[in-house]
Amino acid sequence: MFTHKLFNLRCRSLMRKYASQTSAAASSVRLENEKLQKYLENLRGEYYALRVNTAGNSHAYARMARLEGVVNALERQRALERNLTSKHDLDKETDEDMRKLMEEENEVYTDLIRKQEEVILQELLLLADDENYPAVIFEVNAGAGGQEAMLFAKELYEMYTNYFEHMGWDFEEYAYETTDIGGLRHANIMVNDSQAYMWLCNEAGVHRVQRVPATEKSGRMHTSTASITVIPRPADFQINIAEKDLKIETKRASGAGGQHVNTTDSAVRIVHLPTGLAVESQSERSQLKNRELALKRLQAKLLQQQLQSAESSKQATRKAQQGSLNRNEKIRTYNYVQDRVTDHRIQGGTLHNISGFLEGGDQLSRLIERLQLEQRKVKLASLIEMWQPPSDVNN
Amino acid sequence: MMLKLLTKPMRCLAAAKLTRYASSGSSQPSAEHAVTETTKDETVVPVTKALDGWAGKLKEAGVEDTDFNLKCIVSHVLQRKFNTVPDNYANVSFNSSQLRDFERFCEARCARMPLQHIIGEWDFMDITLKTAPTVFIPRPETEEFVRRVIEEYRESEHIDMLEVGCGSGAMSLSMLHALPHVDATGIERSKAATALAWENAKLLGLHQRFKVYNHTMEENKYMPEELKDKQYDLIISNPPYVKTMEFQYLHPEVVVYENINALDGGPDGLRVARLVFDLACVHLRPGGKLWLELGNEHPPLVKTIMNLKYEGRLRFVDSYKDQYKRERFVQIEKV
Repeated sequence: MFTHKLFNLRCRSLMRKYASQTSAAASSVRLENEKLQKYLENLRGEYYALRVNTAGNSHAYARMARLEGVVNALERQRALERNLTSKHDLDKETDEDMRKLMEEENEVYTDLIRKQEEVILQELLLLADDENYPAVIFEVNAGAGGQEAMLFAKELYEMYTNYFEHMGWDFEEYAYETTDIGGLRHANIMVNDSQAYMWLCNEAGVHRVQRVPATEKSGRMHTSTASITVIPRPADFQINIAEKDLKIETKRASGAGGQHVNTTDSAVRIVHLPTGLAVESQSERSQLKNRELALKRLQAKLLQQQLQSAESSKQATRKAQQGSLNRNEKIRTYNYVQDRVTDHRIQGGTLHNISGFLEGGDQLSRLIERLQLEQRKVKLASLIEMWQPPSDVNN
Repeated sequence: MMLKLLTKPMRCLAAAKLTRYASSGSSQPSAEHAVTETTKDETVVPVTKALDGWAGKLKEAGVEDTDFNLKCIVSHVLQRKFNTVPDNYANVSFNSSQLRDFERFCEARCARMPLQHIIGEWDFMDITLKTAPTVFIPRPETEEFVRRVIEEYRESEHIDMLEVGCGSGAMSLSMLHALPHVDATGIERSKAATALAWENAKLLGLHQRFKVYNHTMEENKYMPEELKDKQYDLIISNPPYVKTMEFQYLHPEVVVYENINALDGGPDGLRVARLVFDLACVHLRPGGKLWLELGNEHPPLVKTIMNLKYEGRLRFVDSYKDQYKRERFVQIEKV
């Protein structure tokens, strides 16, 4: 809740900051826009309708809670508008002093109304993202560029895990495949926070690095890539693993076990019989710990499998996010020679100080916020564009 | 007894190896030592190089799972947590004294000294316990056992628990660690184990809810004098359950180095378990439970014993399989 509040504050200040450079798509998001007015009126209607008959329906309550902000802001604005003295009344007033006073008053109210409009827009922007997932699966994959790409993937991995910590999110690593020289082939992290998808969805895609790799002997600059995939985990998604479906393989599995043997074969391999999936763990000394880790990995694997097969759209998401790992479908470039990071989706998306950026702290956080805002505007614009007043539909 | 005598030479050998290396490493003020002293700072050996040949030697000595053994020793020598040492040992190296330690430990492992004794500590569930040469080392099956008992009591009210034969304290302390509403008392026949359990409790900061008594359970004198009228909600025990006949087939780690008292369960492996049954009749509150870890052929036998000898006093509730599908754990209720 607190983070949400902070976020709102942040967005508001950002809105002002970038108000001057609103993109073409967002220009339709103005209160004078007639369609937007209709849309707002419709939301208001929906809100009051819900308030009258939300008999224990949690879905309706949730929707109502979401609408509350916008409707309240709208009501406040209407109240302010009623305070304005109309042109007609102004013209009728004969006393000069009195008229001046009325005009002054009007100015104050106009100013307040303008501010209130900003609030409404803000609330509308918040309404525009309707995805709410309790957790996301965050993947880092090395792309084109061999060892160098894996080294870069490792740097990205560290940047994002730092960012998760920076945001105070709880996350667990499920798969982590490294290479001999300290690179990263593939990593899989589950981020358990309902805010995570909202922030991370714009990070998905191909990240490109341009530098002279540590592995390069002749000093040429290389271009390599790594990709980020963000797969949301829906709330009602659960994996149940039955004990009887598991075959646990350790060296202790044969013989009498118990007090009879004191071998330390802590490594555990678990086979999930229905799917044939196998997972291993030997990163702890305690066998029970390794077993728990292996089970978690299995769970993650099953989850991934089901998410992929159950929802083909999700797979399309992944495909779209990863691209074909070509060097040119990138969302962001990290150029070491010029010490800059450029995000290709926003105007003025170039930042300097790569090493600071890769720490995953404020710099990354600020860029993500900007992307977020930009994306919301586009989304809201298209939402209003797509929206049909219900009366039109009925006719 | 016979076994103890037979294995004595082997024990001495390994002990000698440990001390020989220890003395050459630290206490001899010889010329050779002085030389190593001066070159000490420059001699840095990559771990990958130090490992050379040891896997083969361990295998030859009959040690399985050599990679894991070596990694445990390496992380112990480096005094780093096991899971922070990379599997390929990239960028890790020993200085000369660490190298000497490493080789000394590997020699000891080749002499089949249990890994847990060599490195002096072991992880059990979520806690790390110190180990001592004469104290029984808890097994992975016991972790499963404790996990099961913890789940059973996770939601319960305050529990007064007794552990018979607590050894290093592994079971009681991990229960205390997981469940704040448990108070535990342990009784243990070995003085060394009693002291170790208390030390572990203090190291883990659990000593306020833990008591341990040095006491040997005998017929009609099951508990120490001061606890003779005490009753508990729960008794857990991992009594010795290896049949005396089976000792000749066991690994040297077990027979040579482990305390026979913690393993020898008499001709049918239930000698001590029977004493625990009798103890439970007196010291369990009605409705209280007795949980035992036993050998895989024991649970049906225990069921029969309950029905024949303890009717009206104890009731066999159920038995449970370990992860390898061996029937091993039993739950008994005081009527």
